[in-house]
Amino acid sequence: MALQAEPKAYGSTVLVGGHALPKRPRVSAALAREARLAYVILTPTLLVILFLVAYPFFSAIYLSLQHKMVGAPGRFIGLQNYAELFRDEVFLRTAWNSVVYTVVAVLLKFVIGLAMALVLDQERRFNNFFRTLLFLPWAVPVVIVALNWRWIYDDLSGFLNNFLITFHITRDIISWLSDPRLAMGCVIAVVVWAGTPFYAMSFLAGLQAIGKELYEAAEIDGASIVQQFLFITVPRLRTIFITTVMLSTIWTATNLQFVLVLTRGGPSNRTEIFPHLAYETALGARRLGMGAAVSLIFFPVLVVLIILLTRRMLREREE
Amino acid sequence: MRSVTRTRRFLKWGGNLLLAVLLIWTLVPFYWMFATSIKKDREIYGFEATLIPRRPTLDSYRRLFVQTPFIKYMRNSTIIAVTTTVASLVFGSLGAYALARLRFPGRAIIARGLIFTYLVPQSLLFIPLFAVMSMLALIDTREGLILAYLGFTLPFCTWLLLGYFRSVPLELEEAALVDGCSHLGALVRIILPMSLPALAVVAFFSFTQAWNEFVYANVLTNSVDVRTITTGLTLFIVEDVFFWGPMMGAAVLATLPPVLVYLVFQRWVVKGLTLGAVKG
Repeated sequence: MALQAEPKAYGSTVLVGGHALPKRPRVSAALAREARLAYVILTPTLLVILFLVAYPFFSAIYLSLQHKMVGAPGRFIGLQNYAELFRDEVFLRTAWNSVVYTVVAVLLKFVIGLAMALVLDQERRFNNFFRTLLFLPWAVPVVIVALNWRWIYDDLSGFLNNFLITFHITRDIISWLSDPRLAMGCVIAVVVWAGTPFYAMSFLAGLQAIGKELYEAAEIDGASIVQQFLFITVPRLRTIFITTVMLSTIWTATNLQFVLVLTRGGPSNRTEIFPHLAYETALGARRLGMGAAVSLIFFPVLVVLIILLTRRMLREREE
Repeated sequence: MRSVTRTRRFLKWGGNLLLAVLLIWTLVPFYWMFATSIKKDREIYGFEATLIPRRPTLDSYRRLFVQTPFIKYMRNSTIIAVTTTVASLVFGSLGAYALARLRFPGRAIIARGLIFTYLVPQSLLFIPLFAVMSMLALIDTREGLILAYLGFTLPFCTWLLLGYFRSVPLELEEAALVDGCSHLGALVRIILPMSLPALAVVAFFSFTQAWNEFVYANVLTNSVDVRTITTGLTLFIVEDVFFWGPMMGAAVLATLPPVLVYLVFQRWVVKGLTLGAVKG
């Protein structure tokens, strides 16, 4: 990737896989010692991976096959949790919501993030200062973002209604988060507010890596601004586009904080999405087994993304 | 040529206009958060609510410090975020060095496992992690929370440092090894000093992620002595009644550390960015 400050130190001799290290005469005792040292200093990382990610991951699968309440022993029930889920109306509603929520949020973040990056790539005084300001939301803890927006949306005293009524734009209070038609849009707006800087940062870095002489040459050849954008900018940002969207899709689809703070899935499940439903089922209703099943149900889609991304990240590093 | 200058001018002013809109969209929520925190209750709620504070006061902040465990939450957040950062730096450097420079069976799988681990979403792990932590009797302890955070900071930090360490020329290190320096000595004396930008990104990433984290903190802790500020904040909601003044005051103060760290580190952060350093 363009940004990775990583000059290739010794050509293609060292790969992630560790096949092909430069051959140097060494005795096997030294190699054994080297391997021993490697395992010793890798131990903390390996323990963390095994006990805090791998084991919980597999135990989530096992949990989802049990009837298990918080604080009580579980009973193996096979796929019954999943069967129950598929019969549930809330499940279908949640599946639809999750798709809408993720797709719309990612799309908007992409478009606004690209606009932000293009604007910041123009020449202007104080541009660094503007960049710092526009990227600020990204440093704020997500819960605080969500709480603040809940307050902005507040029916009686929030900023939005206050502003609209003071300037006579509307006469009545709008119930942003409890109106079934508005709630999802309002939640997505917050997700977009918080997530756009990440896109803008990635895109801006990509834009700045494109040499200005390319545009100059194109202009001499008579290419319009639109043509320059489509045939120079877009192709050069393609890799960054794909990686950013993939990473962000995983994080957007699995973030439960926005819904948890803003609407708790309401009104009448209009903003219920899988990660929040899992949270409510496991910790609200205390059904750990069922909660695990809910959280796993959208995992097949994510796992495809994760595998593709893992490959990309390994490949980009090797190039 | 005329049309080119016209397009130029259009782009320039269109860009400025768009910038203004984006700045308003981005900054208004910050304004509202801060404005609320310096209002009296009368100006916050109901018919007398104001858009611009008429009589600014620090009363909400006073209530925060005197009547709530705010300071305790901030202290817990600091301890947990700093410990997570230090542990990620130390263990991450060690692991990355092994993967970058030492030969042993299993390297390829571990490198792959790092990314994979990092990408597995939290929302999938918090339920079983709750079970694991109960089993280890680490529920409602700072240690438990720090361990949980290492679950996502360490794989990423190791991965990022691994890439950077590889770019340090091998010759320098070999010279040191020939001179009788040990592997760990070479790591500390040669590789780490040359990797400061990467270490900065790793420190930044671990600190902000740990400071901003909410879901694990909410699931794994519940007592005042352990709670971090992100979960402590939500306690200002009592029976669905929000105390917006002190809450926004707390929000302002709790946002300062990650924002300050961002301002200091932003130069380097962009480098780690496209590697997935930053969640968005």
